[in-house]
Amino acid sequence: MLNNLEKNRLPLIFDMMASRMKKFQSFTGLLLIIIMAIILSPRQHGTGRVLFLTPENISDIFRQVSENGIIAIGMTFIILTSGIDLSVGSVLALAATFCAKLLTQWDPSIGQPVHIFLAIFLPLVVTTSFGTLYGLVISKLKVQPFIVTLAGMIGLRGFARFLTNNANLDIGFGDDVSSVFADLVSPKPVVISTFIVIAVIMSVLLSRTVYGLRVKSIGDNLIGARYAGLPVTKVLLITYALSGFLTGIAGILHAAQNHQGSPNDGISYELDAIAAVVIGGTKMTGGKGSIIGTIIGVFIMGILTNTFRLKGVDINVEMMAKAVIIVIAVWLQMPRQHKSKG
Amino acid sequence: MKNGLTIAGVVLLAVLVSVTAFAEGEKDSSDDGYLVIFSQANNAEPYRAAQNDSFKELWGAYPDVTFEITDAQQDNSRQISQIETAIIKQPNLLIVAPNERGPLSEIMGKAKNSGIPVICLERDIVDANNYTTWIMSDNYSIGKLAGEYMVELLIKKNGEPKGKIVDLRGLLGVEGEQKRFNGAWDVFKQYSGITQEAEAVAGWLQSDGRIRMTEILRAHPEIDIVYGHNDPMAVGGYLAAKDLGRENDMLFIGVDGLQGEAGGIKKVIDGVLSATFTYPLCTDKAVEIGNKIMRDSDFVPEKVYEVQSMMVTPENAAELYK
Repeated sequence: MLNNLEKNRLPLIFDMMASRMKKFQSFTGLLLIIIMAIILSPRQHGTGRVLFLTPENISDIFRQVSENGIIAIGMTFIILTSGIDLSVGSVLALAATFCAKLLTQWDPSIGQPVHIFLAIFLPLVVTTSFGTLYGLVISKLKVQPFIVTLAGMIGLRGFARFLTNNANLDIGFGDDVSSVFADLVSPKPVVISTFIVIAVIMSVLLSRTVYGLRVKSIGDNLIGARYAGLPVTKVLLITYALSGFLTGIAGILHAAQNHQGSPNDGISYELDAIAAVVIGGTKMTGGKGSIIGTIIGVFIMGILTNTFRLKGVDINVEMMAKAVIIVIAVWLQMPRQHKSKG
Repeated sequence: MKNGLTIAGVVLLAVLVSVTAFAEGEKDSSDDGYLVIFSQANNAEPYRAAQNDSFKELWGAYPDVTFEITDAQQDNSRQISQIETAIIKQPNLLIVAPNERGPLSEIMGKAKNSGIPVICLERDIVDANNYTTWIMSDNYSIGKLAGEYMVELLIKKNGEPKGKIVDLRGLLGVEGEQKRFNGAWDVFKQYSGITQEAEAVAGWLQSDGRIRMTEILRAHPEIDIVYGHNDPMAVGGYLAAKDLGRENDMLFIGVDGLQGEAGGIKKVIDGVLSATFTYPLCTDKAVEIGNKIMRDSDFVPEKVYEVQSMMVTPENAAELYK
């Protein structure tokens, strides 16, 4: 009797172990990449320390992944609903250029702090509104997210270029309000802590709230979710608005760090974000995934890039190597049975 | 459903009407005025946007000229079809900034053979018979000029032509990029003390210039000159160095020297760049020669006009800034 019970339990225990393992697979991937980075890293001139591990380089990496990280977090929510947002690169460019425009070509008599606040706030209102619009079209008109956000990607790129008349808007090289903005928003600690705060809040939002649960349910089974009476429209609206908002923040950070609103920045950022999300174990078909996974995905990509560049690897080789690593990373995280099926 | 269709129809109509409100240069040119069409390779690059603005201003001074711009958005086939449409309009002058030298060659020949004078702007095309005149500036000589100036700077800094150079490069497949690189390095090669410390492809962008430079700075403690093959990349390199407090250890050189707040000349005034080398818009010359071709039937243009680059240094930057 007991034996039988044990027998029944065994697969259960095995399943549990497997799921634990799976949870840590991304970590394993990250660990492997870090080990590789340490081995490949050149030595620091003079001190002989491993360059990759120096605090300066580590904080460089944090800073460099921040923008993609913030975008990828919003993308995780969207992919969890089995959607996609191809427009993030254009949205980032729009936020950055609009912010730069407000700082350099608008001269309200409202005092510097309010001016800076509005130069951050208004672009976020715009990007969040576009996100909401996507959500509306996707949930109400039932147009596929791919199509809607593809249209957004084209249209908003055009809008950003139209806003700036195709030129770059430089900020923060004199001593005007835009310099105060750049000094305020571009320092490393500001960028990195923005990323960390967003990651923590969004992680809680996804794993500990009713909204988070609904996001996953919709991605798991949309029709079921509708029949179950979930407020599908509302959830989709919030999710796309959230992505617009987060991408807007990334755009503001982008403008401050580069001292520029360039309408041509952010091209193919959507692919970096999607890559990070899938490397982090989120299913493209929705329903399953986590923010921590995405963060790991973001760092796997970031560390890889950093290592290649410290070594001075040719950019074309870098692209080829990244392609291979993305496929391997995702394959590693697929459920076991899929693999044995070949 | 019917309602939905009506709404869709109204939205479409509204979009079309508002789009035509933004149409440029749609004046009626059927009277005795001149029609000039400019086929631009890609409006979205700042250099080309400046070219468009300059043309609009220059042609604006001639009330009898109607000036139209088409944007090929960096797409050869789009530019070809836009030129086909232009041929149907039979303008008095066609100016083409070809996206690539091979694919645009034939259609420009067609335009010329249909009796339209064709000015080839900046980049050339494969068959020189297919344009009336070519107005250009040479990236190789700009690179060479920049190289010679950087050697001077190195002598000033290190007492001899010796130093470590970082190249921040644009897209490698582009001819202009290779010429700006080769022009400078053909000069550097004459001095054994000048070596390349690192190079990175930053795709012409300030943001990529900054990111790529950060890692270069970490891995290379000694750098004398950062040669950005355009101004935004050089500025990006400067921002990365400033972030590490190393902006005074090295000099930053750019190319393009555009006007305006975000242009390279302003960056020389601000002390961000030590120098920039203008890549002339060639628009002044194009308007000058174009006018002669249209208005003076006896005028025979030369086959090539080269517009010289100008060196912008802290000494003359304020004077050149508009």
